[in-house]
Amino acid sequence: MKLYKFLRFGKKARRKKTTSNRRRLTKRKFLLAASLAVLLLAAMYIIYLDFTVRTRFEGRRFALPARVYARPLELYPGLKLKPAELVAELELLGYREAAASREPGSYRWRNQLVELVSRPFTYGDGAQEATSLRVTFGSDRVKALQRRADNSAIELLRLDPALIGGIYPGNNEDRVLVRRDEVPQLLVDALIAVEDVRFYAHRGIDPRGIARALVMTVSGKSVQGGSTLTQQLVKNFFLSAERTVRRKLNEMIMALLLEVHYSKEEILETYLNEVYLGQDGNRAIHGFGLASSFFFDKPLMQIDLAEAALLVGMLKGPAYYSPRRHPQRAQERRNLVLGEMAEAGFITDQQLLAGRITPLGVVERPPRGTSPYPAFLSLVHRQLRRDYRDEDLRSEGLQVFTTLDPWVQRSAESALGKQLQRLEQGRGIAADSLQGALLVTDTQNGEVQALVGGRDPRFEGFNRALDAHRPIGSLIKPVVFLTALQQPQSYTLATLLDDSPLLLQQPGTDDWQPQNYDKEFHGQVPLRMALARSYNVSTARLGLQLGVPSVLDNLRRLGVDHELPGYAASLLGADAFSPLEVAQIYQTLAGGGFRTPLRAIREVLTFDGLPLQRYPLAVEQVVDAPSSYLLVTALQDVVRQGTAQGLHRYLPAELGIAGKTGTTDDFRDSWFAGFSGDRLGVVWVGRDDNQPAGLTGASGAMTVWAEMMAGLALEPLILPVPDGIERVWIDPQSGLRSVAGCPDAVELPFVAGSAPAESAPCGPGFKGNSLKNWFERIFR
Amino acid sequence: MMIAARRTVPLVLILLLASCAVVPSTPPRPEASSNPAVVALLDRVHSQAAAGELEQAGASLERALRIEPRNALLWQELARVRLDQGLYRQAESLAAKSNGFAAGDRTLRAENWRIIGQARSGQGDYRGAQTAFERAERE
Repeated sequence: MKLYKFLRFGKKARRKKTTSNRRRLTKRKFLLAASLAVLLLAAMYIIYLDFTVRTRFEGRRFALPARVYARPLELYPGLKLKPAELVAELELLGYREAAASREPGSYRWRNQLVELVSRPFTYGDGAQEATSLRVTFGSDRVKALQRRADNSAIELLRLDPALIGGIYPGNNEDRVLVRRDEVPQLLVDALIAVEDVRFYAHRGIDPRGIARALVMTVSGKSVQGGSTLTQQLVKNFFLSAERTVRRKLNEMIMALLLEVHYSKEEILETYLNEVYLGQDGNRAIHGFGLASSFFFDKPLMQIDLAEAALLVGMLKGPAYYSPRRHPQRAQERRNLVLGEMAEAGFITDQQLLAGRITPLGVVERPPRGTSPYPAFLSLVHRQLRRDYRDEDLRSEGLQVFTTLDPWVQRSAESALGKQLQRLEQGRGIAADSLQGALLVTDTQNGEVQALVGGRDPRFEGFNRALDAHRPIGSLIKPVVFLTALQQPQSYTLATLLDDSPLLLQQPGTDDWQPQNYDKEFHGQVPLRMALARSYNVSTARLGLQLGVPSVLDNLRRLGVDHELPGYAASLLGADAFSPLEVAQIYQTLAGGGFRTPLRAIREVLTFDGLPLQRYPLAVEQVVDAPSSYLLVTALQDVVRQGTAQGLHRYLPAELGIAGKTGTTDDFRDSWFAGFSGDRLGVVWVGRDDNQPAGLTGASGAMTVWAEMMAGLALEPLILPVPDGIERVWIDPQSGLRSVAGCPDAVELPFVAGSAPAESAPCGPGFKGNSLKNWFERIFR
Repeated sequence: MMIAARRTVPLVLILLLASCAVVPSTPPRPEASSNPAVVALLDRVHSQAAAGELEQAGASLERALRIEPRNALLWQELARVRLDQGLYRQAESLAAKSNGFAAGDRTLRAENWRIIGQARSGQGDYRGAQTAFERAERE
C-alpha cells in the first residue's frame, strides 16, 4: 500500500517534466510493471529466506536424540541407604543444597535428616508429582518418609532419574541437546541480562537495542552487541566470516520471520543448543549442554551461578575468553556478567559478591565423551538396535529407561582403577599395562546395574565387557560339576573323583595331559573339594566321563547362544567368552537355575511420554532346583575353603558368597565370577596384547571384585532349601556315611536317596558306635 | 471320532479337576509383606489388574520385586498376571520361581501348582496340567 502511494507521488513529480501524454502513459505502465516485478522479486526473496531459515530451524529442532536415563532411586522406609548416599544421588540429579528447601530440585541435609523437594517426572506408568518430604535415617537404613506439609507417612517415592546420555544424530557430531525445562534459570537470566535484555519484548530485531549498543560503543563501555538472541541464532545457522550490510539485512529479515513462526521459548531452546562456545581441536563445541560437559564435566542442570555466568560471558568471543587458555580474562568477563545480572535484578548483591570470588571451576582436561558411562550406553544402544531403526533412535526423541545404578557403577569404576594400579605397584608390573572389565547384575531379575569396559571408564572405544573374548579357564568348571550333579544316582558332593595323571589320546589331535595348578596329583578327592580347589585333572576326567557334548549342552542351556566347537580342552575353559556372556551363565546359577536374559533397558517411551515398549522380566527354569542348590552350595565352599578364601579379607564370611576363580595358561587371563544374595559380579583382568599378566583369578580379578562389593551393602546369600534335599554326615576321606562328632565329618546336602548307604569306620555302621546311634539307625 | 474323543475326554477331566482345584482356594491371607512400600505397590497392582491394565500391573510387580526379590507371593502375582495375559510359558516359569522361595508355605505352593496347571493346559499340555493339579492337591 505504502509502495503504491510512493509510485503515485513519483508520477506527480514527473508530470511537470514530460509533455507527451502517450510517452507519459508508456512510462507509467513501465514503472508499474517494474515496481511489480521488484515487489514480486522481493516477495520471492522473502519466501526463499523464510524457507531457508525454517528448514534450518526445523532441522535443528526435530532431530531429537534418544535420551537415556539411569534407574530412578525408589525411596521407602527400610531401604538400605545412608544420608551421604542419598545426597550423592541428589547431586547427580542436579538438586541444589539450600538453607530451606522449597523449590523442586532442592534439598537440605542435617545429620540423619534430609529434607527435599522432588522434581516432577512422568514415567511409563504415570506421573510422579513434585513432593516436599523429610527423610529420616536410622543406622544404615531409611527410617521414615514424611510429607513436610502435614507429617503424613509416605510409603514409596520415586525420584526423577539421572540423565546419563543420548543417542545423537549424525556420525561424528556430538551434542548434548538440552530441553528448555532442563536449563537452569540462572543461565537464561544471565543470557538475557547480557545479550538481549528485551528478548521477551521485541519481535526479532530490537531498534532500541541497536541504538543503545551504538551509544555504548561510542562511549566506550559496551558490553552489548546490537543483535538480539534471535539474530544471533540466525547468524549461527549460516556461519561465515562475511560482514556485509546485505548479510546483516538478511539476518534481520530471517530473525523477524523466525519470530513469526516460533515461540520465544522455542527460539531460546534452539539458541541454547546451537550457539558456538569453543573449540576442541577440530571439534566445535556447540550448545550449552556440550559446553557444560566440556568445561565443567557435568550436566548443564548442575551448573551454578558463577559457571552459568562464565559460559554466557564466553559468547562474546569463545577463543578470546577461553577459561582454559585465558583464565584471567575469562574471570573478568564472568564477573562483568554477574554485575549485569545484579543490575538487571536477577541476583542479589550477596549472590554477586559470592559469585565474584568463586573459582572458575573448569576441569583441567575436557572429558573425552559426552556420557559419563559410554560402556554401559553401548550395551543399551546394542539392545535398542534390535528393536529400532538407528535413525529413529537418533531423531525421534525417545526416552530410554535403563537399569544402570550410578552408585554401583561408581563403586565398580573406582574398584577397577584403584585395584589395577595397586596390583601393578605391588607386583612390579609395568604401569598401565593391565586392563580389566566388569559387570554387576541383580541376581534375581537380571538387570545390569553397572558395566565397566576398561580402565578409563570415560573411553568410548573398545568395550572389553562386551567385546573382549577371552578363554575363561576354570570359570567353566561349575558347568562340568552341574552336569554331574544332575545325575544324583552317580554323582553327589561326596563322590570321590580320580585326580591321578590323565592322558587323552585321540586320532588327529595332540595328546592331552592336563596338569593341576600346583603341578601335583591328588589321588581320590571329594567332588566338592575338586571344585573348591579347582583341580584340573579330576575335572577333566569327570567331564570326559560325562561327555563333552552334554557339558556344552548345559552351557547353552545356561545362556550361551553361540556355537561351541567341543574339544576336550573346552572342559577346562579353553573356549573364549566375553565378560557379558560369562555374566549370563552365572546369572542362571545365581538365579537358582532360572535363566533370566540380562537386561539394560526397562522401557522405552515416546517423546511425549507414551509407553512404546517394555522389556519385561522373563524367567525360564533350565536347571532343576535340587541340582542348582547342590552346585551353589559347592560354590560357597570355593569361598569358604577353596581358591577364593582370600575374599574374607574384604568381606564377612556371613555373606555366604558363592564364586569361582579362573586363571588361564601362563597367567594371561584372571577371572572371578561370584554372587551374594542380591548381586552378581563378573570381573576379567588381563592385558590387551594377550601377554601374561602374571595374575591368578584370586590374586587379580577377585581382588577387584572384593574391593567393589565391599563398597556396596550386600545381602547375604541364603539359599532356600528345595524339596527333596536331605542333609547327611559324611566322612570326606572315604566319601561314606558318618555321624556328627566323628573326626573330620561334614554335613552335606544330598538329593534324597542319593547319599551313600555304606558307613565309614566311625559312621553309623561301625561296631564301636554308641547305643544311641544304633537306635537312630534302626529308626531312620 | 475316536481321535476327537481322545482329545476331549482328558480335556473334560482336566477342566473338572481344575474347577475343583480352583474353587476352594485362597483363604484370607496374612499380610503380603511387612514393607509398606510393597503393600502399596500390591494395591496398585490389584487396581491395575482390575482395570485390565495387565502390562502395567506387571511393571508394578517388577518394582515390588526389586524391593523384595525373595517374596514368593510377588513372584506368584506376576505369574498370575502373565497367565491372564495368555503368556503361559512365563506364567509357568514364574510360578515355579515362586515355589523356590515359598519353602514351608503350603497354601502358596498349592496356588502355584494350580497356576502351573492352568498354564500347561493353556499350552495344550493336558497331561502335564493334570500332574500339576494333583501336586496342588497334595500340598
